[in-house]
Amino acid sequence: MTTAWFDEQSRMNPDELQTVTFPVSRLGRRGYDEDAVRDFLHKVHAQYVRLVNDRTSLWQEVQRLRRRIIAPQANGEVNGVVVGDSEGHVHAVRILSAAQVTADRYVADAQAYSSRLTEEARLRRDEILQEAQRYSDMVLEEAHTKAREAAVSALNTTPSPQTYQEQQAVHAELAYLRTYSDVYRAHLRAYTEGILRGIEDWERKEAISLEDAANGGPRELPAYDGNSHHR
Amino acid sequence: MNVRRSINWRRQRRGRQGPLDVARLRRNFAQVAEHGDEVPLFFYSDLFIKHPEVRDMFPISMEAQRGHLVDALVKIVSSVDRTDELTGFLQGLGRDHRKFDVAVEHYEAVGASLLATLQYFSGPDWTPELRADWAAAYELIGTVMRAAAQEDEGRGPAWWRGTVVSHERRAFDISVLHVQPEPAMDYAAGQSVAIESPSRPRLWRYYSMANAPRRDTPLEFHVRLIDGGAVSMALTDGTVTGTELRLGPPIGVLTLPQPLPDRDLVLIAGSTGLAPLKAIVDQLTELPQPPNVHLFFGARKADGLYDLDSLEKMAADRSWLTVTPAVSADPKFSGETGSLPDVVARHGDWSRHEAYVAGPTQMVQDTAARLTAAGMAKDQIHIEDFGWSEP
Repeated sequence: MTTAWFDEQSRMNPDELQTVTFPVSRLGRRGYDEDAVRDFLHKVHAQYVRLVNDRTSLWQEVQRLRRRIIAPQANGEVNGVVVGDSEGHVHAVRILSAAQVTADRYVADAQAYSSRLTEEARLRRDEILQEAQRYSDMVLEEAHTKAREAAVSALNTTPSPQTYQEQQAVHAELAYLRTYSDVYRAHLRAYTEGILRGIEDWERKEAISLEDAANGGPRELPAYDGNSHHR
Repeated sequence: MNVRRSINWRRQRRGRQGPLDVARLRRNFAQVAEHGDEVPLFFYSDLFIKHPEVRDMFPISMEAQRGHLVDALVKIVSSVDRTDELTGFLQGLGRDHRKFDVAVEHYEAVGASLLATLQYFSGPDWTPELRADWAAAYELIGTVMRAAAQEDEGRGPAWWRGTVVSHERRAFDISVLHVQPEPAMDYAAGQSVAIESPSRPRLWRYYSMANAPRRDTPLEFHVRLIDGGAVSMALTDGTVTGTELRLGPPIGVLTLPQPLPDRDLVLIAGSTGLAPLKAIVDQLTELPQPPNVHLFFGARKADGLYDLDSLEKMAADRSWLTVTPAVSADPKFSGETGSLPDVVARHGDWSRHEAYVAGPTQMVQDTAARLTAAGMAKDQIHIEDFGWSEP
């Protein structure tokens, strides 16, 4: 190769073409300063010539290498597609083969791993399902047994006389439940009434706004305390 | 098969003296094949170095691919003197390669790399005569493949665009997909297509259509997630309405013969092996007088009977159809329990029926053996044993 590949100092940066600025020309004439433009073009030309030379010498180098590869094969029977079995080519084939085998192994490993994962997940799922099935069977069985026992014992046992203390406890429980239900009922009524009032209020507002729409304009709503239904 | 286009090795001279020396080719191939996986490895590396653009036509992992190449070469070399069989194989191969967008120049590139590979592994035994013989043989192979591919071009596209219109997950590991092919696809009920998912480029797996071909009706596919299966995982997990799949041309022989023999049918489906058999039932529905059909549908657990609702609906509308579900690993199941061959055998004598069997390889083999043992002739048993156990 005769021409240097890179001559970093004098090498023109393509960006220069984008950013180049020329001094404004003398008064009375329009456009860029002619000398500056000419200088710039000169520079571009020099770079271009160099690139073309580089390209030509590289092309020659490629041809030379190609000839070297094909030469040992070029004894009549090769149609040009076969590059031949020169050492370089076989070497390249070996490198690519090794890379391919490595890639294959990566893929195989990943596949094996994913296979193991799904298999484990499937087995785990089966286990969980079986466990759930066993548990639900057990609960059902237990409930069944209890119900049967309760029915049997209800049939067999006559109510035993209660002690005074037991009667007292039951009465106390009853009293408590009665009070609780009273209080709860009162609360429920208050809440329901509150909601009803809210609905009435909502209807009233809707009627007013419909009327407004019919009359063609909004109107001040009467003030209303939204919380007033709370006691 | 087109016998007229059968290979005639003897007549093939191509400007040389004497016919192809088939024995010499075989000896040379046997010698080269001793190098095992090195041979296809060398072949593909040589091809990719000379034609880097070809690399994109293959999946990242080439392991399975190398196996396919060696299998095909072994098949070709071993059946060189059974020309009808070989021609049929090569025609199928040529048609099948259309979906990979294989062009004429690829045949040349492959031929050159094949020669380079044979030469490399033959070492000092490589002679100009051997080279000329291999070149002539490959030229023939390529011609048959290309001719079949070209002939096929008139029949349909190399591959179909398939838009997923619905994806139903029926079980933990089973999905039912409906896919609209573009353009419309013509096929026989029971056939399959290779499917490529956009998330697993260059990986194709065969799935059977579960319905008969009808204009404007999407194809139905039943996909079972295989542990670690690249394509099945992409289809059951990553596929949503609107996903665009690629579909290869329909293939397969698990179809109804024409004309239909005057026999009743027994269809035996294990898991997603149901798909082709459901398509056959669908096809029979269009006959004025369908034969009686007994469909056995088996799975390990009850939740594996993913399509039973649909089958029972079909049976309700068709007096000639009986559906029997069976479960092999769940003694609590209220219906038939046990392995499919057992369940089928329990249901009577099928020796006068025509049987169609599809499902996992082992189940298909067991069922076929059982039917044969029970007196059914081999040609009454229809099987398509591929794709089920493939990832």
